[in-house]
Amino acid sequence: MNNNRMLEITVGAFMALGLLALFFLSMQVSNLSAASSGGGYNVEARFDNIGSLKVRSPVTMAGVRVGRVSAIDFDRKTFEAVVTLHIDSDYEQAIPDDTFAKIFTAGLLGEQYIGLDAGGSPNFLAEGGKISLTQSALVLEEIIGQFLFSKAEEGGKVE
Amino acid sequence: MLDLLARLGRIGIGSLEQLGRGHLLLLYMVVGVGELFTHPRLLLKQLYSVGVLSLLIVAISGTFVGMVLGLQGYYILSQFGAEQTLGVMVSASLVRELGPVVTALLFAGRAGSALTAEIGLMKATEQLSGLEMMAVNPVKRILTPRFFAGHISMPMLAAMFSALGVMGGYFVGVGLLGVDDGAFWSQMQAKIDFDDDVLNGVIKSLVFGLVCTWIALFQGYSAVPTAEGVSRATTRTVVHSSLAVLGLDFILTALMFGE
Amino acid sequence: MRDDKPLVTIRGLRFLRGDRAIFDGVDLDIPRGKVTAIMGPSGTGKTTLLKLIGGQLRPAAGTINVDGELVHQLATRDLYRLRMRMGMLFQSGALLTDISVFENVAYPLREHTGLPESLIRKLVLLKLEAVGLRGARDLMPHELSGGMARRVALARAIALDPMMIMYDEPFTGQDPISMGVLVKLIRSLNDASRLTSIIVSHDVREAAQIADYIYLISNGIVIEHGVPEAMLSSASEWTSQFMNGLADGPVPFHYPAPALEQDLMGAAG
Ligand SMILES: Nc1ncnc2c1ncn2[C@@H]1O[C@H](COP(=O)(O)OP(=O)(O)OP(=O)(O)O)[C@@H](O)[C@H]1O
Ligand SMILES: [Mg+2]
Repeated sequence: MNNNRMLEITVGAFMALGLLALFFLSMQVSNLSAASSGGGYNVEARFDNIGSLKVRSPVTMAGVRVGRVSAIDFDRKTFEAVVTLHIDSDYEQAIPDDTFAKIFTAGLLGEQYIGLDAGGSPNFLAEGGKISLTQSALVLEEIIGQFLFSKAEEGGKVE
Repeated sequence: MLDLLARLGRIGIGSLEQLGRGHLLLLYMVVGVGELFTHPRLLLKQLYSVGVLSLLIVAISGTFVGMVLGLQGYYILSQFGAEQTLGVMVSASLVRELGPVVTALLFAGRAGSALTAEIGLMKATEQLSGLEMMAVNPVKRILTPRFFAGHISMPMLAAMFSALGVMGGYFVGVGLLGVDDGAFWSQMQAKIDFDDDVLNGVIKSLVFGLVCTWIALFQGYSAVPTAEGVSRATTRTVVHSSLAVLGLDFILTALMFGE
Repeated sequence: MRDDKPLVTIRGLRFLRGDRAIFDGVDLDIPRGKVTAIMGPSGTGKTTLLKLIGGQLRPAAGTINVDGELVHQLATRDLYRLRMRMGMLFQSGALLTDISVFENVAYPLREHTGLPESLIRKLVLLKLEAVGLRGARDLMPHELSGGMARRVALARAIALDPMMIMYDEPFTGQDPISMGVLVKLIRSLNDASRLTSIIVSHDVREAAQIADYIYLISNGIVIEHGVPEAMLSSASEWTSQFMNGLADGPVPFHYPAPALEQDLMGAAG
């Protein structure tokens, strides 16, 4: 019967290790700890062009991650992209309602994210709030296009 | 010409028959799940021989794969000045792909082959017939506990592989090569998603666990009951399981991560 | 009244392995409470016959009736219930190799009875004592000789006190002493509990000594049957050759094959 006890203990330890590993992967490696902290609130921002922004892209403020993109929709009337931002509950009463939202690119070719520039208003955004000041993503092709166009114009003037 | 066609037909019919038998066996094993509640000790024993005994090789491989990933990843990423994202690279490749796939391959070699040999030998020595004549259903009594033990062990082993791999990558990247500790973890947490990455990895390893154990048991159960038959069945188990895992991995990846 | 009917009745049995008919029209009765020996040359299908009676194989045609039930038509559950009343001693012993001798004999008891551990222990020791292996109870099957393994398997087969036991060559690999003990054991099991026994054997002398009735099968049919004395003094050339172990006679020693010359020529051409 001693043998049986050993068997039970070893298998129990095996299962415990397995669950521990799963727990480690969920809490330490993935974003479950951030996502599951519960609460938080949603605000909406409209952009003319969101570039390659994706659901779950980070939302940062002064470089600090404060939330993530939870949904992206298209408004048929205004032809704008409607982006829903989920702000973590730690940042309630922290984002003024005249905040400016911009789409940035991390690194030259990196992933896109939303950066928030705080305004000076004494009122804060809450659930269902809207960010009205936005700046679209810089689309590389457009920038290059504009650059070439202006160069060409300059060249025209010289001649 | 007609001969060739006939042979092709025979092979086709043969494999269909095999497939049918395999599915029947799967059905019988799953139906036998009640056996686990009336005889929990059977499952415990199999968890030991299928899971615990595979732990060592899985743990060692996981650690080393993670360390190699850390090393290679560092050399490549540092060329772009992106060594901060080392954690992302290491953990994404482990959690999504290497953890489930390499664990399944190791499992097929370590536990799968052992299962086939065991069942095949039990058949060759008439132990399965003997059970039948004692009015004990060998599928329920012998195969079902092994099947579920494999099914349960695989995700556990894969999780340990990935977790130890991340640790190995951390050890090399942060400990030896000087990547920033905070960046390693925070970038990782920002990019690795629970649903998309961790959960999908677990689903993969559940599927692999089912397929590998199923193949191993079926090969053992349908082995020709001789020494040579059992040895062939064991080889087939490793080959078929490995191919099945790689093929399924492609399909599952396409389904899960393709948008 | 039902006791007069045979326990096993086989009619028109036909069984195929691939295209080869192992049995082609076998009629056979196993009387209740008697020892019946089934004899025949190696490879005629004696083991196969036992497996057919046990319901592990299904006949292509014909009926196998065991204690009023058609074995080949039973649903799995009923078949298993019937098998609880049958014991079978496999040619190889078929012991479970991962548990000890004691556990092997205890296995059917634990499986099918809710007996308390102390009682199981007593029963197992009694059965092991009967086959002379009580001292070997803690050995593992791989530590047994072939003959010992067969005796343990016998103890296991009688563990549940079945109504019928099928012995597949119980005497091979036994020394004269344990053979004598086994013969006595089988006989006394039969006489004490009105057990029905089917013995497959090559050993003419032992079989004739122990059996009440003998069936001789070959080439897929029953060649002759009768009480041992009649069989030993049978007028049939076939029977007397087999029973007296003569090399010359009509009994085929070879597996069916084309003529030797033809085979040799075929290989050359
Ligand atoms: N699994 C199988 N597949 C194909 N043929 C088989 C199989 N098992 C047995 N046979 C064939 O069936 C025939 C009868 O086999 P069986 O084992 O019943 O013979 P036996 O009378 O018990 O012989 P022995 O006295 O040597 O034990 C043999 O000729 C064998 O070729
Ligand atoms: Mg035989």
